[in-house]
Amino acid sequence: MKTLINIGIAIIVSASMVSCFNDKKPNYQYFPNMYEPVGYETYGEYDIFPGQQEAMMPVENTVPRGFVPYEYDDSTEGLELAKAELQSPYEVTEENLATGAHLYTIYCAVCHGDKGDGKGILVTREKFLGIPSYADAGRNIVLGGIYHVETYGLNAMGSYASQTNEKERWQIAMHVMDLKASLKGEPGILETTKAEANTASETEPK
Amino acid sequence: MSSHYEAPIREPLVLGEKSYADISADVAAPVLGKANKSWWIVFTIALIAFLWGLGCIIYTVSTGIGVWGLNKTIGWAWDITNFVWWVGIGHAGTLISAVLLLFRQKWRMAVNRSAEAMTIFAVVQAGLFPIIHMGRPWLAYWVLPIPNQFGSLWVNFNSPLLWDVFAISTYLSISLVFWWTGLLPDFAMIRDKTESPFQKKIYGILSFGWSGRAKDWQRFEEVSLVLAGLATPLVLSVHTIVSFDFATSVVPGWHSTIYPPYFVAGAIFSGFAMVQTLLIIMRKVSHLESYITVLHIEYMNKVILLTGGIVTVAYGIEYFIGWYSGVPYENYTYLSFGAATGPYWWAFWALITCNFIVPLTLWVKKLRRNIMWTFLVALIINIGMWFERFDIIVVNMSKDRLTSSWTLFQPTFVDIGTFMGTIGFFFVLFLLYARTFPVIAQAEVKTILKTSGAGFKKLRADHGDNVSHVQHVEEYPAEAGPAANVEGKHFDSPFVNPTDEDLENSNVDFGQHQQKIDTLIATVGTFDPALQKQDNLKKINGVGPLMEQKLHQLGIFTFEQVSRMTDREYDLLDDIISEFPGRAKRDDWAGQALLLKNKK
Repeated sequence: MKTLINIGIAIIVSASMVSCFNDKKPNYQYFPNMYEPVGYETYGEYDIFPGQQEAMMPVENTVPRGFVPYEYDDSTEGLELAKAELQSPYEVTEENLATGAHLYTIYCAVCHGDKGDGKGILVTREKFLGIPSYADAGRNIVLGGIYHVETYGLNAMGSYASQTNEKERWQIAMHVMDLKASLKGEPGILETTKAEANTASETEPK
Repeated sequence: MSSHYEAPIREPLVLGEKSYADISADVAAPVLGKANKSWWIVFTIALIAFLWGLGCIIYTVSTGIGVWGLNKTIGWAWDITNFVWWVGIGHAGTLISAVLLLFRQKWRMAVNRSAEAMTIFAVVQAGLFPIIHMGRPWLAYWVLPIPNQFGSLWVNFNSPLLWDVFAISTYLSISLVFWWTGLLPDFAMIRDKTESPFQKKIYGILSFGWSGRAKDWQRFEEVSLVLAGLATPLVLSVHTIVSFDFATSVVPGWHSTIYPPYFVAGAIFSGFAMVQTLLIIMRKVSHLESYITVLHIEYMNKVILLTGGIVTVAYGIEYFIGWYSGVPYENYTYLSFGAATGPYWWAFWALITCNFIVPLTLWVKKLRRNIMWTFLVALIINIGMWFERFDIIVVNMSKDRLTSSWTLFQPTFVDIGTFMGTIGFFFVLFLLYARTFPVIAQAEVKTILKTSGAGFKKLRADHGDNVSHVQHVEEYPAEAGPAANVEGKHFDSPFVNPTDEDLENSNVDFGQHQQKIDTLIATVGTFDPALQKQDNLKKINGVGPLMEQKLHQLGIFTFEQVSRMTDREYDLLDDIISEFPGRAKRDDWAGQALLLKNKK
């Protein structure tokens, strides 16, 4: 009988202690000495900042170290210019292509499809339509053009400059070129660049 | 007790011709009686000091350790000084009750109870400092190796500060158990003696139903011995561990292998000094002069002399090694601009004076047996031992290896207030103890009464060791049985009924003794029937109806008056009433009356 009473008391005590914890708000803390930050947290909300946002915009026309501004306009002329003259500053390598493929599945495949045929998950589920295939005969898809579109967006597509950095966009562009080639049944970008390099070295006078 | 050899050279440990009942009455008197005015005054002072200290502690904990005078170089000062001081004081109690028990020292019996109480109260004070000197005392439970949610993050068992946790907590719990076990028969005595139902209930609970059967006593003795055997290494190890706080460090002046025994000796030294301080007051206030005699004080002084000598030798060794080691840093600490000649020269010389020079006077027997002088020396030793810890901690840290970090320590009022608070708290506890606990282990004192009591010693001196003091009664002739006594053979003196005394004709001869009566009344005070009530003087052991009548004739009606009697008044009384010469003195009427008065 006595042990029963003791067990009963233990249950009541533990139940009442657990009942204080509410799932819908953060739990109680015991002396939260260094729990709240003294410094400003990156996305914190503080009265001192405009709009209470710690994440403020940098001053325009400033260039941080290790960053090169993109100099083509966000316009049809800019796109055409990029298509015509913009070249990748990175070499086409297997490593870059692999990273590009990886990034492509994260950022692009949801609309453009894993194969680049315009049949991503959102299209097959008919959330929206009108995604063209890379192999579309009417489209002139080149490396510089892909990079330009990734940076600024085009028509329904938005800019991916905030998700990816410059190098990542070039890597994705390389992968897109690969996808286009495989849709058309042509050799991949790695082989073509190698072949170009070979012919260039052969024709070069010794 | 037909034959007992006790060396006649030993002085009695219980003075006055005490009986077992007297011991119980004397020990129970403060518990059963009411507190007097001086107790309340002292208690109030102690309580105020305690509350002030409590305020300081709350201020420290809520504001931060920065309110103390500590700095970056000297991170330990008054806090750990006081901690070590209090722990040291606590050591005498266990030493008296455990080590002296192992050595079969009978004189411990009158002092062990209070010394143990002192231990417990001192360790409580000491235990405060490790908590309050923490920067985040609310996380103090992290020092315990408890399984937890931080991937079961545990403590590091390499730190002497952690060993302190185990040492102090074990020490406190063992001391408490040892003390309480010894208290059981005495609580039972109070339980059986008190007339207040509330006290009966309380002491009934406290005494755990002690009934004093032979089996209980046998086990009681065994437990005491086992606990004494356990407590002795504990005493040595606890202060050793405390000394490791310093000895295991790399600080010059701390890093020393002599610390463990030297700290223990210092602890016993300071602890006995504190016992002296307390007991000298207590024997007076609680009328325990018959039990805590000059002999006890002398014995404790001898222990103080011994341990003080050990401590002095340790000082010498520290200095010798400081020079002999050839380590320049040790030299800084001890010789060049260290303790003796540095900015803390006054603390150093206070230590040498209080711990070395003043206790040397105890080699003189006259001073060793002088209660006032002992009290003074004990106080000085307490101060000196505080300085010893202060010197060890602060002086050695103030001048460490890098001259760029040399600095001095200045205490703030919070440092001082906290220390005062612990002293107040200590006395609050001790004063409450003195009024609610049997302060002398009466059960133990009763075991030495017949060997070491003054009355019994005198009997042995007068009649020899082998004389039985029990009256021999002639055996009944076995074959005849008790009926053989019909002719009054075994009771040849006529049986006197004390109530048959002729009350009518026992008047005091006023004419002859008028002057003596006047002197007597002048001392004990007059009785005013309009304002006072007369007491039943027959309650005094030795006062019968006849004696009461005579006292009334003299004008003595109250316990108050009787309690003022001294030897001179007893003699006057004997002259006036010549029937029972020396009776009043033998029975200690004044002492009895004082108890009865307090009990009213």
